[in-house]
Amino acid sequence: MFNYTFQWKQAMARLPQMLDGALVTMQIALLSMLLGILLAVVLTMFRLSGIRVLAGFTKTWVEIARNTPALFQIYMAHFGVASLGIYLNPFLSLLVGITFNNAGYLAENFRGALKAIPDTQTRAARSLGLGAVGAFRHVVLPQMLRISFLPMTNQMVWAILMTSLGVTVGMNTDLYGVTQDLNALTFRTFELFAIAAVIFYVITKVITLGARLIAARLFRY
Amino acid sequence: MKKLTLTLGLLAFAAPSYADKLDDIIASGTLRCAVVLDFPPMGMRDESNNPIGFDVDYCNDLAAALGVNAEIVETPFPERIPALMSGRVDVGVASTSDTLERAKTVGMSIPYYAFENAVTVNDNSGITDWEGMRGKTVGATAGTYEAIWLEGQINEWGEGTFRPYQTQADVFLALSQGQLDATVSTVEVANANVASGNFPGISVVDKAPMVPDYVALFTLREEYGLINYLNLFVNQQVRTGRYAELYEKWIGEGEPADLTIPGIYR
Repeated sequence: MFNYTFQWKQAMARLPQMLDGALVTMQIALLSMLLGILLAVVLTMFRLSGIRVLAGFTKTWVEIARNTPALFQIYMAHFGVASLGIYLNPFLSLLVGITFNNAGYLAENFRGALKAIPDTQTRAARSLGLGAVGAFRHVVLPQMLRISFLPMTNQMVWAILMTSLGVTVGMNTDLYGVTQDLNALTFRTFELFAIAAVIFYVITKVITLGARLIAARLFRY
Repeated sequence: MKKLTLTLGLLAFAAPSYADKLDDIIASGTLRCAVVLDFPPMGMRDESNNPIGFDVDYCNDLAAALGVNAEIVETPFPERIPALMSGRVDVGVASTSDTLERAKTVGMSIPYYAFENAVTVNDNSGITDWEGMRGKTVGATAGTYEAIWLEGQINEWGEGTFRPYQTQADVFLALSQGQLDATVSTVEVANANVASGNFPGISVVDKAPMVPDYVALFTLREEYGLINYLNLFVNQQVRTGRYAELYEKWIGEGEPADLTIPGIYR
């Protein structure tokens, strides 16, 4: 039994506010993805460095990022670090939390991609006179990024959806935060969240389709 | 003859049923109330995890008046409407502010309680009255009357930041950590949290200049029979002194907000 009369007009009047929220959501996801890729590359280099402390650092990061809820990571980025006297505003907390999560997952993606690149390539590059860093940068890294490109779009979608966890740290400018604010104001729960779901769906669909197009163009053999 | 029996039988099935929600509750023998249990002293849990508080007692009284059993359904603030619409609860006894905007969606009773709101600050913020919040970082529990008021006030001032947190506990944690300079909450919640000692470095400095936050029972908008019953029930609680009794039990000494209409309802 579902006793409810939908009032789409009342909810649609709030659409511009929700679209503004969607922009913030995309901004956070995009930033967290760029930072996440950079960090994941560094983590991967640590892993390959052969230096025990650095490899251990990567391992710890990946373990925590992959085996604890994203909600916990975002919550710690806000309330956890605040108890150390570092105050991150909700936007930064959310960004840091998602970036931490992204970097962990992406480092694992990169590890898988590396397995697909034969060791002999590194050896060949080294014997041609490239240094360790040079061989990684010019030979391994481009292939690694290519192989893990589609898994990366997966993570991007995940980042978009994770922004909805920002409400736990006081975020109210992203799509989910805006929707929740409007819900408290009007009690038009079902219409507002249905609209939010459609917006989320469209964003992620555009990203996955876009990524496929880009991949088809970039990675032609 | 056979044909007649058949016709009569069909008519009995086809006859529209006029049982409304009030009938359904009485027939089922159970009244399911949405209560927020993260909102002391209105709704909370005791040491053995049982729901207690003003709203819990109020639901029990309502069930007793109806002659049915009460079932407390824990419902966080943002989930009150989904709980009602999906049929998980019959009424909300959930300190719900009776705004006109919300009344377009759900049916509100006459007010059964009224809150005054207080400004609680972090001691390092230097705020001494409510106007001191101008330009500061303030927050409140998402989805509450005071959050809506505070966000509006920040927008009106055109300076400062507003942050809604999901639970009352997170708001006071953020305030105590210094992430927020001030918060607005009901006087009851503010006093309870300052007294609890869980949140060092905060104090209540002022009342917020809001229209008192009148809260209503709510149910489906079209259930006039039930809404009428709820209205009468609220009046009876006031008239019989039960309202004052519950106030003294859960909030303490002092005068509860006047919910009478002079010359009509005591």
